[in-house]
Amino acid sequence: MEPPAGPREDSYEDLYEHAPCGYLSCTPDGRILKVNETLLAWTGYERAELVGGRFPDFLDVGSRLFYETRYLPVLRLRGEAREIALNVRVADGALLPVLVNSVLLDGDTPVVRTAVFDATMRQDYERELLAARRAAEASETRVRILQDASSAFSRAGSEEELAQALAASARESLDATQAAVLLLDESGVLRPAGGDDPFAELRSAMLRFPANDALDSRGPIMLQDLRQIEAHYPALLGAARDAHIEAICATPLLDQTGTPLGAISCYFGRHRVFDPQNVELQAALARQAAEVLGRVRLEERLRRMALHDQLTGLANRQLLAERLGQAMTSATRTGAPLALIFLDIDGFKAVNDGLGHAVGDSVLRQVADRLRGVVRGGDTIGRFGGDEFVVVCADADEAAAQAIAVRISDAVREPLAGVPTTFSVTASIGIAVHHPSNGSVTPEGLLITADAAMYLSKDAGKDRITAVGI
Amino acid sequence: MSASTDGLDVRVRNNIRESGDPTGRPIVFVHGFGCSQEMWRDVAPSFAAEHRVILLDQVGAGASDTAAYERRKYDSLHGYATDLLEILEQLDLSDAVVVAHSVSAMIAVLAAGRDSSRITALVLIGPSPRYIDEPGYTGGFTEKDIEALLDALDANYLGWSAAMGPVIAGNPDRPELGGELAESFCATDPDIARHFARVTFLSDNRRDLDRVSVPTLVMQCSADPIAPLPVGDYVHAHIPDSRLVVLEATGHLPHLSAPAEVVRELASFLR
Repeated sequence: MEPPAGPREDSYEDLYEHAPCGYLSCTPDGRILKVNETLLAWTGYERAELVGGRFPDFLDVGSRLFYETRYLPVLRLRGEAREIALNVRVADGALLPVLVNSVLLDGDTPVVRTAVFDATMRQDYERELLAARRAAEASETRVRILQDASSAFSRAGSEEELAQALAASARESLDATQAAVLLLDESGVLRPAGGDDPFAELRSAMLRFPANDALDSRGPIMLQDLRQIEAHYPALLGAARDAHIEAICATPLLDQTGTPLGAISCYFGRHRVFDPQNVELQAALARQAAEVLGRVRLEERLRRMALHDQLTGLANRQLLAERLGQAMTSATRTGAPLALIFLDIDGFKAVNDGLGHAVGDSVLRQVADRLRGVVRGGDTIGRFGGDEFVVVCADADEAAAQAIAVRISDAVREPLAGVPTTFSVTASIGIAVHHPSNGSVTPEGLLITADAAMYLSKDAGKDRITAVGI
Repeated sequence: MSASTDGLDVRVRNNIRESGDPTGRPIVFVHGFGCSQEMWRDVAPSFAAEHRVILLDQVGAGASDTAAYERRKYDSLHGYATDLLEILEQLDLSDAVVVAHSVSAMIAVLAAGRDSSRITALVLIGPSPRYIDEPGYTGGFTEKDIEALLDALDANYLGWSAAMGPVIAGNPDRPELGGELAESFCATDPDIARHFARVTFLSDNRRDLDRVSVPTLVMQCSADPIAPLPVGDYVHAHIPDSRLVVLEATGHLPHLSAPAEVVRELASFLR
């Protein structure tokens, strides 16, 4: 008898062969033992082409990698792997997206049974969804990074804070191992201003760095891997390897007119291909920071102008009073002595009247420079008015103050540029030394005492030092 | 030298599990991409009689503390190497053997190259210093292949929202597996998996091999689709004090598919 045509619901064999999903049995290492008709129909292979072959060999390369690194461990450890998405390469070379469920049946001859579902529709749909989500997330991330950076930059009150904020933003948003911000100083040299720099120790060695070339070319310098670093900056290779750096991207900081202000260098722990979005992001951060830098520098200049004497650049009365107040507070706390040196330039009026104001101004500037050269690191020098100067020396007793005053006196007596030696220019100096143990005194009291001591020097014949304790 | 690890608990961060003889020579097993310390379940117990056995999950994998995952740090295998060195230091291991699979073989190479004061032997299972082919070097893959893997990861984690976190898809049919163990099996956060895949397969650590000075066993499967034979030869040729053994086992997971052979070779190397 011929079997009846059409489906035979009583036959398990038929149910297996023509089930609405593909079936596949393999050995644990992927050797195909058995497949059903449905799978053959979907893939277009002859049974003999599949059976005996290895299942992963029928997958595209991405799926094969996933199969080896994810599907197999899960299957081995859990005994099953569910809803695994794979791409099967079918007979005509096209890819068939499938979802598979596999179970590992242990026994003398373990076998893996797999059900295969056609996932073409799901894949297309979800892939579009994913692509749309990624695009939305990428642009949202970019906007968020720039907003965060913008608010961090606007909080910066100084060049250093801005440089730190820029380095931090760049590091976070570009997954950089390190980021360094370098700013041009007055002499046109790039100096580290913020962040951390694997080449910091080499900077003194007069080498060229990617940041220099980014500045010169007014564009980004990208080094994708150690080979490129070695080819373009061989002297940096050792330091890069020691710091575990394999790629560098340096971008210039330019102001609105295109004038270079500095550069930001990002250092990466792994070689990488710089995609245009990331390079543009670094440039956008640099543009924002450059704008803020202009503002911060202006503020710094204004603040300086408000607290400094314009002619000499020394502290003005306001800043002097502030520093003196701080020094006295701290002297009271520590009990250490504090000295105030008051000096008046002898012979200044004759120079000013005889040689003109321009020479007078030059003398004041030269004296200011000499004072800077002979005081101690933490001392504050101020211009008190006309040809009067004041030096606040924290933590200085009579002997220390005397030593500083002698250096000042010697320095002022040296010949001055633009002033013939027929003019005598010297300093009359008064020192007031305050010992907190002797009782309290006001800043004004200290100033008056030092001023009075200076007049004693003047009256005693100029070019001398008078010290008074208080 | 503890300054760098003050306040850090590597036991939590890396879900450290210890067993065996606390006075024995320590063996640290380090799993590769795509799974967790569970990978060693058929190998590690064989060494418990004589060794202090340490298992760990790389940050981002298994039951590690995913909050410790910083993209910046783990954008290079050096981030993981730092973790490994911190573990050796915090557990105060000396004379340690590091047994590392797949990408972690290179993590172990980086760690040993940076500081071998606590590591006295390496066992690298299926190592590859560079997966991408280049003129004069066969890694087995092209950059496009790796992009395809990322696509495959996407396809598999499509349904996962970030909010679902690292919990692997549930198993409603077999609630008895729903415990902590099943959850941590190869648990992976999709974003971390993508990033780790990129870092794993796009890194180039060929220059780091010759910095390894400790005795090293390179365990190579006879047909490994991830790290083919020439790659094993390359690793062996570039690590000065190394020995290459080609296992009869095939595939990329000999510790799961042929644990007995892995145990045998490992034990004979340690003798």
